[in-house]
Amino acid sequence: MNKMLNIISKKNIWLSISGVFIAVSLVFLIIWGLNLGIDFTGGSLLEVRFTESVPAPDQVKSSLAELGLEGEVTVQPTEQVGYIIRFQDITEETHQEIVSKLKDSFPATEDGGVNLEEERFEAIGPSIGQELRSRAIYAILIVLIAIVAYIAWAFRKISWPIKSWKYGVIAVVTLFHDIFITLGIFALLGAVLKVEVGLPFVAALLTILGYSVNDTIVVFDRIRENLSRLSKSDFEGLVNRSVNETITRSINTSLTTLLVLLAIFFFGGVTIKYFILALICGVALGTYSSIFVASPLLVVWERFSRK
Amino acid sequence: MAKMKEKTRVRLWLVLIIVVALFFGVYDYPPILNKGIEGFNKTFHTSISTVSSRPFTLGLDLQGGTHLVYEADTSDIDSGEEGSAVEGVRDVIERRVNSLGVAEPIVQTNQVGDKWRVIVELAGIKDVNEAINAIGETPLLEFKEESDTPARTLTAEEKNDLLIFNKNAEALANLVLDNAVAGGDFSELAAGNSDDLLTKDKGGRIGILTGNEPEYEAIYELITSQKITEPTVLKKLLDDGNGYNIVNVNEIKAGDEQVKASHLLICYNGATGCTDGPSKEEAEAKIRELKALATPDNFSDLVKEHSSEPGASVNAGDLGWFGRGVMVSDFEDAVFNMETGQISDVIETEFGFHLIFKEGVRQGQNYDVSRIFIDTKTEADILPPIDKWKNTELSGKHLDRAWVAFDQTSGAPQVSLQFNEEGDRLFGEVTERNIGKPVAIYLDGVAISIPVVNEKITGGEAVITGSFDLVEARLLSQRLNAGALPVPIELVSQQTVGATLGHESLTKSLFAALIGLLLVALFMIVYYRLPGIMAVIVLLIYTSILLFLFKLIPVTLTLAGIAGFILSIGMAVDANVLIFERLKEELKTGKPLGSAVDEGFKRAWPSIRDGNASTLITCFILAWFGTSMIKGFAITLGVGIMVSMFSAIVVTSYLLKQFMGMKDSKKNLFWFGINKK
Repeated sequence: MNKMLNIISKKNIWLSISGVFIAVSLVFLIIWGLNLGIDFTGGSLLEVRFTESVPAPDQVKSSLAELGLEGEVTVQPTEQVGYIIRFQDITEETHQEIVSKLKDSFPATEDGGVNLEEERFEAIGPSIGQELRSRAIYAILIVLIAIVAYIAWAFRKISWPIKSWKYGVIAVVTLFHDIFITLGIFALLGAVLKVEVGLPFVAALLTILGYSVNDTIVVFDRIRENLSRLSKSDFEGLVNRSVNETITRSINTSLTTLLVLLAIFFFGGVTIKYFILALICGVALGTYSSIFVASPLLVVWERFSRK
Repeated sequence: MAKMKEKTRVRLWLVLIIVVALFFGVYDYPPILNKGIEGFNKTFHTSISTVSSRPFTLGLDLQGGTHLVYEADTSDIDSGEEGSAVEGVRDVIERRVNSLGVAEPIVQTNQVGDKWRVIVELAGIKDVNEAINAIGETPLLEFKEESDTPARTLTAEEKNDLLIFNKNAEALANLVLDNAVAGGDFSELAAGNSDDLLTKDKGGRIGILTGNEPEYEAIYELITSQKITEPTVLKKLLDDGNGYNIVNVNEIKAGDEQVKASHLLICYNGATGCTDGPSKEEAEAKIRELKALATPDNFSDLVKEHSSEPGASVNAGDLGWFGRGVMVSDFEDAVFNMETGQISDVIETEFGFHLIFKEGVRQGQNYDVSRIFIDTKTEADILPPIDKWKNTELSGKHLDRAWVAFDQTSGAPQVSLQFNEEGDRLFGEVTERNIGKPVAIYLDGVAISIPVVNEKITGGEAVITGSFDLVEARLLSQRLNAGALPVPIELVSQQTVGATLGHESLTKSLFAALIGLLLVALFMIVYYRLPGIMAVIVLLIYTSILLFLFKLIPVTLTLAGIAGFILSIGMAVDANVLIFERLKEELKTGKPLGSAVDEGFKRAWPSIRDGNASTLITCFILAWFGTSMIKGFAITLGVGIMVSMFSAIVVTSYLLKQFMGMKDSKKNLFWFGINKK
């Protein structure tokens, strides 16, 4: 690595790219919004597996229509030979009714026996959904505040050429960048593939918060270190040098994390697939933003405050 | 010299860490060692015991099960009392769940804002619907009084069944008897047919009968009546009231003299076993009077009329045949010394005054006996046991509330009950007709208190006194409140995962973990070479420590938890990457390996600390935020990060220091990931 990459000097390009991504994400979020799962809206989800012959989705739907259930019923095939069926929040009696209706409607071809296995059933009352939603928002806010406070504390000893709290603010702006684009991706997935976001998604977002700030901290750390031993006259050059010194580490670290995440995404269970996908987006974006967003912003702010 | 010492210390630590890690590894997955032990045992015929360890605690989503959230409607409860009402609900649910036979159910209360909830987790349950129905029942509080209903009689069908059963038993008994008499092997017949579980596998042998064994009296009498002279199978079937006996006499020995007698007892106050008797003088006067009247002919009638022995009015004081050593000595001396057919003088024993009529005497025989027993049934075997209690009209719906109070004089804790108007009336009626008798209070079919009614109670308040302490009293009032004010509960959330899906998720996620570990290991070795190999060793040590902690704490592993664990593998190498990158930088500046390692560690530390701290903060908040899925993720990730700080920094530094001593390290720079050009 004899040649230094001129990342900072091209900062306007990187910042524009990120700006465009955020704008597009915002548009997605405004048009479609997130496809909220039953964790937040309340409702029921039933996953069934057919052990022998699998009926078509429409057959399942029309069989259930005979029960006259209220609200929308969606039937979605799973990777296994089965379906995930979503209803409004239903009582236990209705749940039993639905299961026995399906068992009766689609018996085993051979002996007319049971052809259906209930894999999973979730029913979340509307009040619980409401509550989980507000708790999720609190949790995100608290994590953000805790992280700004921690960074401000960790960088308390440097105040030149920019104040320690500004590192914290930039770290948070970077976080927003990562989170916004992840949200945009899931708004798109929700609209196109009907991917729902539930509590696991919130957990993923919070993990991204913790992880992506990690990358940013490593870059800032190097800047902090170089500020204490190199000439401070050329702040832009110093930042560029620091980014170059840490770029291998940033990429390698996120690469190892991405490797394990991809392993779970492809080989782990279906249940946590989108949870893992959210983490993958977050980790990739976090690495990108620590290199191409956080440090350029630092230089921009420093230049701006000098004027 | 000092350098040598430092090297020895590093080496010792390394060995210690590796040994501990291996120990943890075996604890994590005992089959590793056990397979070896079993193989060794097989080859060398030793019996070294295998090791066992606690299994991982799996969450509901991995072992299948259901997570139910009930919300209690506390709107009708005075503020401040919701807590105890909900605790009461929890106790009731816990008892109901326990009756379902689910292993280690979790039932806990939870308060969110002003909402009170009861959370029920049932692992590995088959029929969730049944559980939900059982839990949802209104808690049942009943007041019961003593039952005076006679036992029911058998139905025609039951009578018929009984008859058939006994007929079959008789037929079988006759068949076995014929077989035994014809010389069939008695032991085999016993083993194949006897219903006497104590003796059937011992050839049916009961032991030696001397005539003094109450439970085998009928057998002894039968043998005596057959007048046998040598060991044989008795040709007669014996029905002793419980079933049929086929009797084999193995040996005959001369025994002691036996007598047959009956007696008349007049007991007095102070004599053993005497209740409500006359004074000693009166008793003595009475027995002398009876002695004057008694003849062998009227003796049994006199006994039936006057004897104070329980049951004498039925059995006429008959003692049957008995030998020496059965009766108290005064009685025994008298009966063995008197003439047959006579009535004794007044005999005094600890039980009172006796008259004895000696009916016969014989030379006793001792028999070594075996038997085959074929069970028959009586009505009592078929009829259900008579319920001692019957319901009153009073029940939990008539109870307003219960609370703990204290007895004004003794200060002992007691439970006060307040009934509503109708309950007041009913309670008055119930107590009125049960004065001096017990009334049982049942909760969910179990008697929780059986106070005795002292007087008719009006005013709608009752007190349960009993020998309970404050804790028990509080518990009882809680239970009563839950039974009386069944705080209505509503199922607000249910998450059920089938066992198949759970097992599939477990297998898949473990496979994913393995693949993830391999990919990371491969990357590290290819990119960083020797330090990469060290990082992989560190990673293995990290994994074994982490899994050990999961078992030890124990951390409940959910699907998300395993994802957190796998993610922490990826992040655990982060510290190594930071250190190695620094190390490479330092080496490139031409520093010797030793100081490069020291410097690399020193410089990398702040970044490792700050980065991990921010993730740890997130984990703490996630764990607090926690529904079980997210908690599982946060806890495994958090524990993982803490362990990784130890493993990556401490263990890696020892490993690197161990290799520092390599001579001519400059030539070996390739192994540290530096390509010379």
